[in-house]
Amino acid sequence: MKSAFVVIVVVLATVPALMAQTPAPPPATGDAKRGQELFEKTYRCYACHGYDGQTGSPRLVPMMRAQDAFVAYVRKPSTAGMPKFVDPPEKDLIDVYAYIRSIPLAAPQADSIPLLKGIIDRRAKSN
Amino acid sequence: MADSIDRRDFFKGAAIGAAGLVVGTSEKAGAVAAEPVSPAPRVVLPTDAHANDLAYAQSGPASPVPVSVQGRPASDFMVDVLKKLDFDYVAINPGSAFAGLHESLINYSGNRAPEILTALHEEAAVAMAHGYAKAAGKPMLVCVHGTVGMLHGSMALFQAWADRVPVFLIVGQHRNPTGIVNLPHSAQDMGSIVRDFVKFDDETTTPERFAESALRAYQIAMTPPMGPVLLSVDADLQEEILADKDRPRIPELVRTSPPQGDSNAVREAARLLVAAESPILLPRKLGRTPRGWDLMIELGEALQAPVDVGTYGSWQDFPSWHPLWGNGGAGYRADVTLGLEMSDMSALARAARTSGRKTISISSEHLFQHSNIHDYGRYADVDLAIAGDAEATLPSLIEEVRKLITPDRKRVFTERGARIATAHKDAHARYVENARFGWDNSPISVPRMIAELGEQIRNDDWAVVSGHQFTGDWQRRLLNFDKPYRYNGDNGGFGIGYDTPGSVGAALAHKRQGRLSIGIVGDGDLNFQPGVLWTAAHHKIPLLLIVHNNRAYHAEVMIVQRMCGNRGRGNANAHIGSAISEPSISYSQMAKAYGMYSEGPIEHPKDLAAAYQRALAKVRAGEPALIDVIAQPR
Repeated sequence: MKSAFVVIVVVLATVPALMAQTPAPPPATGDAKRGQELFEKTYRCYACHGYDGQTGSPRLVPMMRAQDAFVAYVRKPSTAGMPKFVDPPEKDLIDVYAYIRSIPLAAPQADSIPLLKGIIDRRAKSN
Repeated sequence: MADSIDRRDFFKGAAIGAAGLVVGTSEKAGAVAAEPVSPAPRVVLPTDAHANDLAYAQSGPASPVPVSVQGRPASDFMVDVLKKLDFDYVAINPGSAFAGLHESLINYSGNRAPEILTALHEEAAVAMAHGYAKAAGKPMLVCVHGTVGMLHGSMALFQAWADRVPVFLIVGQHRNPTGIVNLPHSAQDMGSIVRDFVKFDDETTTPERFAESALRAYQIAMTPPMGPVLLSVDADLQEEILADKDRPRIPELVRTSPPQGDSNAVREAARLLVAAESPILLPRKLGRTPRGWDLMIELGEALQAPVDVGTYGSWQDFPSWHPLWGNGGAGYRADVTLGLEMSDMSALARAARTSGRKTISISSEHLFQHSNIHDYGRYADVDLAIAGDAEATLPSLIEEVRKLITPDRKRVFTERGARIATAHKDAHARYVENARFGWDNSPISVPRMIAELGEQIRNDDWAVVSGHQFTGDWQRRLLNFDKPYRYNGDNGGFGIGYDTPGSVGAALAHKRQGRLSIGIVGDGDLNFQPGVLWTAAHHKIPLLLIVHNNRAYHAEVMIVQRMCGNRGRGNANAHIGSAISEPSISYSQMAKAYGMYSEGPIEHPKDLAAAYQRALAKVRAGEPALIDVIAQPR
């Protein structure tokens, strides 16, 4: 469990930089509603990535991979922490992709959230 | 970072209390010598905890035990021995094999010092003692029944062992069993059941041996590396009538001073650290007392070196918002690494040897180990291995470091400290930044669950009494762990089922200090020992339990998913055996059934603050409360 956690943390730390450099991919072609069902109940992607694709790690929202690249990656991931999804029909993975692309980013700026701003301010004052 | 009322003061107080006990008992012993009649037991008033205890209320306060002309039960003598050990509490799940001792605790001792905590399972009893010892700085007594109680408690005993935490366990058994029930509850070597994970065990065949073994066991349990100890006590021996003239002398408790590292080796360690360009300090189970916390700050600041407490193995031996907290930042490449009570430095040592870097270990782990459980880690060929308790060795190490710091080195250290502080500040800002994702979503994000809590307890003197294995670093980043008691460490052996009973035990210790205790426990963990909720309610132990309810053993879901993927046999059923849903469990109703205030399931973050406020009002008034939070997996 510990090694898995370390991998997750490393990936979490690298994703924002990648997102910043990559342009948005073309629109998804799958069925987002069906994809949600697959994401939450069949393949349980939420276990690592969160139900909203952004509270786990790595964050999937915003999804910066193109659809084909996503399908290829999910079938043969390059990171040790990500399970291989070899046998799902391509349609399933395309629908999951469509769902992920449909999820709105729910991330207000930290300094606009009073609780987080309070933590930042207290941390600054503590030293 | 001074701490006016902290574990150190508490520990000192406990030591003074114990010393007082010693003196008092010595005087008592003198009186016994002059007049061979044991002092009459005290009559005590019911405590708050007794108010809810119907049996106690019906029987009324303890009355003096009639003293027979022949003497009194040997278990009364055993209680006198245990009183020398300054136990405040004894956790039990009742068993006929220690009924003699049980009765003496109630009627001879008046259920005071130690006071009985009723546990509904022996694993909960031992785990409570585990959490308590870390918060109180001293062990709790636990009594269990022969074989069956011992086996129930053995899991938690293993965790205490792996966490290097003292627990004092007594197992009752019938050495000459006759009935169908007692036969399987006896053993020719009861200690062998748990010998791989206790530091000391003994079968006490006479009252005199009980006394000596009890004092020896306590001494061994408290000498670093600390750990659980076991006494096996025959039921017949407990019930034997001991004539006053045959009452053995109870020896004084002599506390050992912890072992310090060799002075020459400590000097060499200081030389390496002061000469290093990029030293790093890695404390793990260092802070036996709050003194260890203060010393760690002193050493870190003297060297202006980063202090990395690691992920799960530490007792949080450094303030989490201190500028030196962490690994020094992404570009910091340590040339000298000092491990303090670090059980496995093997990977660090191997890597260092290939690149000319140095590693130093100061640890009591070098002094003692069993061989069966592999919690001692792999062999580490560090450059300097100093056998000694790290906390006890730090004063001399700090002194040697200070002697070697020249003005030039001080200038270098100051510049290094400034770089590390900047790196920590940036890393902390990034973490807080990451907390915003999914902020208003349902299920509730883990950082939202913790940040909302932090806001509600900002003006309290609080302590997180659960581990943080499944909430990542969010606790350390979003809450300011600025006192040694803010965090009580993980389970030790990576076994689920410690957090809930361990939190109850630690909360009991903090109750005496007037601190607000919070346990953040997984739904998986709570299901191992839910009966401890009743124990918390019955004994009025103030504790806010937040259930991080993700309705699965999620670490295992992910692991099985990977296994399915690696074997290419389908991922769609990976949840089977790991999900805790269909039906979902209502932890709020569970807590209510055990007599505890509860709310939930709380599914939306907007409802959290008010739920916390209502529950905390109960806790501040002296009761336990539970909030069931439907949260994201991590």
